[in-house]
Amino acid sequence: MKALLRRPMTLLGIALVLGHLAIALAAPWIAPHTPTSLLDAPLEPPGATYWLGTDDLGRDAFSRLLWGGRVAILVAFSAGGFAVLGGTLLGLSAAYRRGAYDDVLLRLVEMKLAVPTILFVAIFVTGFGQTVPVLIVAVSIIQMMGVVRTTRAAGIVLMEQGYVRAAQLNGEGGAAVVVRELLPNVLDLMAVEFALRASSALLLVSALSFLGLGISPPTPDWGLMVEDGMALLNSEPWLVLAPALAISSLVLAINLAAEGLAEAFGLDAARGGGG
Amino acid sequence: MAVADPVLSVRDLSITWRTPGGAGRRVVDGVSFDLAPGATLGIAGESGSGKSTLARALLGHCRPGSAIEAGSILLDGRDLARMPPAALDALRGREVAMVPQNPLSSLTFHMRVGQQVEEVLRLRAGVSGAQARQRAIALLDDMGLPDAERLARRYPHQLSGGQRQRVVLACALACDPALLVLDEPTTALDKTTEAQVLALIRRLRVARRGAMVIVTHDLNVVADICDQVMVMQHGRVVEQGPVRNVFVTPREAYTRILLGAALRVDEASRASPPQPGEVLLRAEGIGFRYTRPTLLRRRAQGPPTLADIGFTIHRGEVLGVIGESGSGKTTLGGLVTGLLAPDEGRLVFEGAALGIRRSAAQRQRIQMVFQDPLSSLNPRRRVGEAVIRPLRLFHGLDHRAAVARAARLFEELGLEADLLERFPRQLSGGQQQRVAIARAFAAEPALLVCDEITSALDASVQAQVLDHLLAMQRRQNTAMLLITHDLSVVWRMASRVVVMQNGRILEAGETAAVFQDPQDPYTQTLLGAASRAARAGDARAELITATG
Repeated sequence: MKALLRRPMTLLGIALVLGHLAIALAAPWIAPHTPTSLLDAPLEPPGATYWLGTDDLGRDAFSRLLWGGRVAILVAFSAGGFAVLGGTLLGLSAAYRRGAYDDVLLRLVEMKLAVPTILFVAIFVTGFGQTVPVLIVAVSIIQMMGVVRTTRAAGIVLMEQGYVRAAQLNGEGGAAVVVRELLPNVLDLMAVEFALRASSALLLVSALSFLGLGISPPTPDWGLMVEDGMALLNSEPWLVLAPALAISSLVLAINLAAEGLAEAFGLDAARGGGG
Repeated sequence: MAVADPVLSVRDLSITWRTPGGAGRRVVDGVSFDLAPGATLGIAGESGSGKSTLARALLGHCRPGSAIEAGSILLDGRDLARMPPAALDALRGREVAMVPQNPLSSLTFHMRVGQQVEEVLRLRAGVSGAQARQRAIALLDDMGLPDAERLARRYPHQLSGGQRQRVVLACALACDPALLVLDEPTTALDKTTEAQVLALIRRLRVARRGAMVIVTHDLNVVADICDQVMVMQHGRVVEQGPVRNVFVTPREAYTRILLGAALRVDEASRASPPQPGEVLLRAEGIGFRYTRPTLLRRRAQGPPTLADIGFTIHRGEVLGVIGESGSGKTTLGGLVTGLLAPDEGRLVFEGAALGIRRSAAQRQRIQMVFQDPLSSLNPRRRVGEAVIRPLRLFHGLDHRAAVARAARLFEELGLEADLLERFPRQLSGGQQQRVAIARAFAAEPALLVCDEITSALDASVQAQVLDHLLAMQRRQNTAMLLITHDLSVVWRMASRVVVMQNGRILEAGETAAVFQDPQDPYTQTLLGAASRAARAGDARAELITATG
């Protein structure tokens, strides 16, 4: 933990992530205007009343910026969480059982990886409706594939360890081996995977919104804001730059924090966990 | 030891390892020695004694996080401790070269071995083209490699361990360095191969004028090829001097422990006499072949790992299984414990056939202790849980009773009860292995399979672990299948022995009979190699006769 706090970039990353979360949670109270109300003053330049000006429909851009991360972050973090939980259980069970189960699972993962992400979501959303829960499920499935592969690989290495064999020889069942013996040893991997998957999910959600496949208007959303502002890029560039900056700063922050976490865990292993 | 004109002169060398917390720990502490041209120094010590750190420092290299704090390393009068990196780089390979422990990881896997020797010649000696090729082949030939010209075109994975180590030696000697540092040069090799490589090193020592430093935990190696020895413990020099003096009249208690701990075949056996009692396990015509699972079917690969294996173990008896790596002895252990299923033949245990699916009773009655003590305990769980779990599973004890029983098992194995609460990494290797033994005995098995259980341990700990194991085995009257490449372990513990090679049993019988009068030529070589090492290790007697 100390090692974590001594890295300035990791600290910056963690601080930025927490800042983004705080803003997203507090948006209803701190936003100066209602993000969806039409203020009858389209395309105002930035000023004292409208800090970032207004968009073409006359909505306050700054308020929309504060609100714009709420749904995207919700989708990204819950999808990241589901992906890591589901992916880890699938990956470890594949490492435990091997054989046909493993083969089928891996072929499914490869099939998924062969289908373009956007196309996959487009089909999914068309089939089940463009709602936030559907979006979370779709993004979870996409992010889960990588988790299955990394945890399966880690699990295969762990399966060779003496303590796993000892548990098997004592007649422990599959669930007990996966949960008691394997899972505790991939917790660090899971933490790092969560950070990576969440940031990648955020980018994906924003891209989907930009394409009209993600969060639907009039919900304020960074990806939608970028899409709305594209036509006005020459005259009102801040309408695109501000939400774009919000997306990239959060993605960057999660990655910085993840990298620090990874190194801190790696260091722990090298130090022998205080032995 | 003052030498008139030393090649290497180390003075008050201290190396400190900085922990991330900022506290420093001295891993090498005030070491001084001189080495004359042609001399060979053996640095002996157990793991963690700082011997490898010292060896690296002789090439002017420190692991990340560590630094030379004080002292000097003079190689032909130049101080490596204070040399700029570029100058050090120019020196390495030319003036000082190293042979690392694992020959496979020190060779580039996608380059032909001949090219790797040529590369050293090109970069370090400035020779290139046909001349380099010729010199490379000559060097390989010099290392005793058969048909060097053809062998030079092979890749590292196509060579045996001993051949690889010879190639690494050729690379190190390409520029005839003034100092050659060998870090555990034979630890990764089989006993027979080890003897051959040691013979080569001994020959090179005589042929060359350069000095050698050999780092090893094995005092037999020191006795075999070194003329000076330095014993290290906790980064300090415990004792140093000519091999003859140190081995015959060790002054320090620690040296005596190390010398005494090197288990030897000439020691008295502690095995109980063979017991003609009830047959516990009978193996009949066991055959096994590793398969590669594909989507549709399993495909057999190569020759069978085991063929026509038959033996019996009686209740309470210790049966030793000897063989080198690749002999199939570990696979045999896997079959008995049920991690693998035989393709042919059958195993009969307590009168019932043993399959891959076993009853809870059968699983309880056959337990196993693994080679690597650290990996046999879950790093994220307290070691007590490893023992408590089988007690609850097999004997249906409640938690409190299981904890009490685990504490008693710990006590019987000489472990303090408060270790139950620790994590595996907080224990020493010997303690970890005793916890693994406690876990196995917790089930109260009738048969215990021990697979190379001491090969990952330091010499002074091996004896202790074996003594505890033998005491437990007697107490519970457990039969043991003792798998090892270490003949002295079998000699000490086993009443009967089975010798394996290439998946077949070559010879079987009472330990004393097989050791004293081996019938099979392979067993004779195996025992010959061991007794050579044992003779070398038994330097006291030999040197006393030599000097007397």
